[in-house]
Amino acid sequence: MRGRAYRQRVYAPDRLKYPMRRVGARGQAKFEQISWNDALDIVATQLKKVKDRYGSASILYIGYSGNNTCILHTPAVVMRLLNMFGGFTRIWGVASCEGGVFACRATYGTLTTGHWRNDLSNSKLIIMWGWNPAETVWVPNTSFYLAQAKEAGAKIVCVDPRYTNSTATFAHQWIPIRPGTDTAMLVAMAHVIIEENLQDQNFLDRYTLGFDKFKDYVLGVDDGVPKTPDWAETITGVLADTIEKLAREYATTKPAALIASYAPGRTAYGEQYHRAVQVLTAITGNIGLHGGNPAGIGRAPVGKQLGPVMPIGINPNEAKYTYIRERLKRPIPRSGTVHISKVWDAILNGKDGGYPSDIELLYVTHGNPLNQFPNTNKGVKALERLEFVVVHEQFMTATAKYADILLPINTHLARTDIGRPWTSGPYYIFNNKAIDSLGESKSDFEICCELAPRLGIENYSNKTEEEWLKEIFNMSKDLSTDIQDYDEFRRKGVHKIKRSEPAIAFTREIKDPKKYPFPTPSGKIEIYSEQLSNLHKPQIPPIPKYIPPWEGIDDPLTRKYPLQLITPHIGRRAHSIYDNIPLLRNLKPQTVWINSKDASLRGIQNGDLVKVFNDRGEMVIPVNVTERIMPGVVSIPQGAWYRPDEDGVDRGGCANVLTKDRFSPGGAFCSNSSLVEVKRV
Amino acid sequence: MKREQIGFYFNQSRCIGCYTCTIACKDWHNLELEVNWRIVTTKEQGKFPNLFVTHLSLSCNHCTNPICATVCPNNAITKREEDGIVVVDLKKCLGKDKCGAVCKNVCPYSSPQFGTEENARMQKCDLCLDRWVENKKPICVEACPMRALDAGPLDQLKTKYGNIKKVDGFFYSTKIDPSIIFNPKTPSKEI
Repeated sequence: MRGRAYRQRVYAPDRLKYPMRRVGARGQAKFEQISWNDALDIVATQLKKVKDRYGSASILYIGYSGNNTCILHTPAVVMRLLNMFGGFTRIWGVASCEGGVFACRATYGTLTTGHWRNDLSNSKLIIMWGWNPAETVWVPNTSFYLAQAKEAGAKIVCVDPRYTNSTATFAHQWIPIRPGTDTAMLVAMAHVIIEENLQDQNFLDRYTLGFDKFKDYVLGVDDGVPKTPDWAETITGVLADTIEKLAREYATTKPAALIASYAPGRTAYGEQYHRAVQVLTAITGNIGLHGGNPAGIGRAPVGKQLGPVMPIGINPNEAKYTYIRERLKRPIPRSGTVHISKVWDAILNGKDGGYPSDIELLYVTHGNPLNQFPNTNKGVKALERLEFVVVHEQFMTATAKYADILLPINTHLARTDIGRPWTSGPYYIFNNKAIDSLGESKSDFEICCELAPRLGIENYSNKTEEEWLKEIFNMSKDLSTDIQDYDEFRRKGVHKIKRSEPAIAFTREIKDPKKYPFPTPSGKIEIYSEQLSNLHKPQIPPIPKYIPPWEGIDDPLTRKYPLQLITPHIGRRAHSIYDNIPLLRNLKPQTVWINSKDASLRGIQNGDLVKVFNDRGEMVIPVNVTERIMPGVVSIPQGAWYRPDEDGVDRGGCANVLTKDRFSPGGAFCSNSSLVEVKRV
Repeated sequence: MKREQIGFYFNQSRCIGCYTCTIACKDWHNLELEVNWRIVTTKEQGKFPNLFVTHLSLSCNHCTNPICATVCPNNAITKREEDGIVVVDLKKCLGKDKCGAVCKNVCPYSSPQFGTEENARMQKCDLCLDRWVENKKPICVEACPMRALDAGPLDQLKTKYGNIKKVDGFFYSTKIDPSIIFNPKTPSKEI
């Protein structure tokens, strides 16, 4: 749907077409047009000045995933430039699924944990945990494959605080659950399976490590608390009977695909949810077989989402990874870097706040962090404090309004690149340049090529766009072997990877575990992780555990702010992209969903303007009183553009004025762990 | 000349309410913001947690007896002999200010649409005649990611999909006989 509207985006009247210099206060969006020469001279002068005065670590670079394509036009082009310039402070953490990344590494030792979506029709039971592909698409044709699986007789269950369009279309059963409590329900399902001896013991004996330690936790041997369905009912709001039935059904139906969406993991201790769900797939032996699913983050072994990009070189400010263990390959926290939830705090507090450096210059490309990172109001203060801000953008976003120099970026239609499948699938796409850049807009790569000599860098690039593409193509083992003829690929535009059956993760490891051990320290699926145990952090336990989340149902703050806020995706946007396109905006207004019970307690009628607030911020937004969300929970789709009025109250519906800027011990981005109150205006 | 009725099929049990059909139509026909030749509506029934939600994607249904054509004061709306597609002659259309948009007011599906300009002429789904002559299905059918829409000679559609004329949220009238058939969605027992 967004693709069908793309013409409106490319030629939108509000596209940025010329380099601009700020003339008003930061945030006022008052700019004057200047020449590329002047703009790049100013950026280069500021970069040099800040580096000389404060050191290169005082340059914070935020390059995210908006407006990039896959192998050439990515944030790597800017990282390469900044590394050659002497380094910068880098962000870490994936907003989507850092908890899932953590869990995949700990449990399986790899992120390659997915199945092609056409494998869904091999499943007899599909459990969609917090998963709403009707809105998020989440791999092309996913909803279509789900419909086919349902029509072929698969039973589908949705676990979600909202009755989503996916639930409405696919689910035979809807299980509403309180946000942040998914781990408790999963652990209780394990309790039922263990009590009734329904686990796949052969699978556990052969392929896994530490089931007994998990069993002790589940049965309450360690802490005297058996994690029974009754125990989980009080936490999750899901009836014990419902938990029992689902557990039995999952354990006795094979193959069954438990698809673990990222949203329940975007909570405090969200990595525990991802670990628990993976352990449950191991207990039922649904790993490495068609129609099953290991509940990872969804990358299949063929047709991969990620591969080589432009080489970025070495960043002297980013100390060599202090691996918590060789196999986990990600430090927590990564030294010399700032978690995406903490960029505003880092800018405001610097070294005194325990961050790697005092930040003086912010360089933003491929993203709209003020809108999309938590605690927008803190972000405003941080952006006001900086010495210099440069932003590459296509539109006047919330972040762009705070730029000192704002550089116009072209769209992928005006560039050439290669597209990889998201998150994996049987195709690659050649992105042939279709139109000329609008106005004076350029690609990030072109800008970096022109900045390099101004920064005294001689060897940034000696290749054209086309030569880089070919070089990276040849560096990519999968592209260069799957695609025999580059020129033919370019001409055709799409390469289909032909396979007699869907590609799925871990078939080799299951068929021949001696020859192909799991890439974990033990060579097994690690239900218990020695490397996590060695961290000695009770909040990162070696087996998955339910840890009550902050700003969850047990938090004393519920007395002041009794409603749990979730910030899901909405189909008419890709995060904050497209929110300004009237064709799409007109389809569905930005609203806060609230259950009719919570609404009537507050005297709220459908369509009223309401105030949603907590200690971090306040917004005024129309309300949608609906039965489609459980009582105690409200939802505001993330990505609407921040639009503060003169009192600082957001009128645009930007969910992050309410979210908490704290990350989970395992790195999870916690955008679904915030408490709020709602009042009539 | 062939004398057949072209019509639509809508599989309600597959529709995810994504609006791709609406957007594809607006993009293909360059429709202004306020005009929709195809509209998706959502109906929510029940109380938490026992719910039933359906979507309905509708355009002009190219009725057997188009009531819009009957009421048009200047005979601007006609039904094509060869395929039963209901079309509007912009030269004959008097405009909404002059006639009071009677076609829109009588249509149970609000299919006739008017732009925002002064005395706007009527416009509506023409089953993508420009594509039809090239043997291509309408853009909404091509765009639907769920393959929940189809279009073609109604007799063929009925052979393929059955002859269900009623669906939750849709007004069916034997008098005008809309050229659309459905696969209705039924509530799941367990919800």
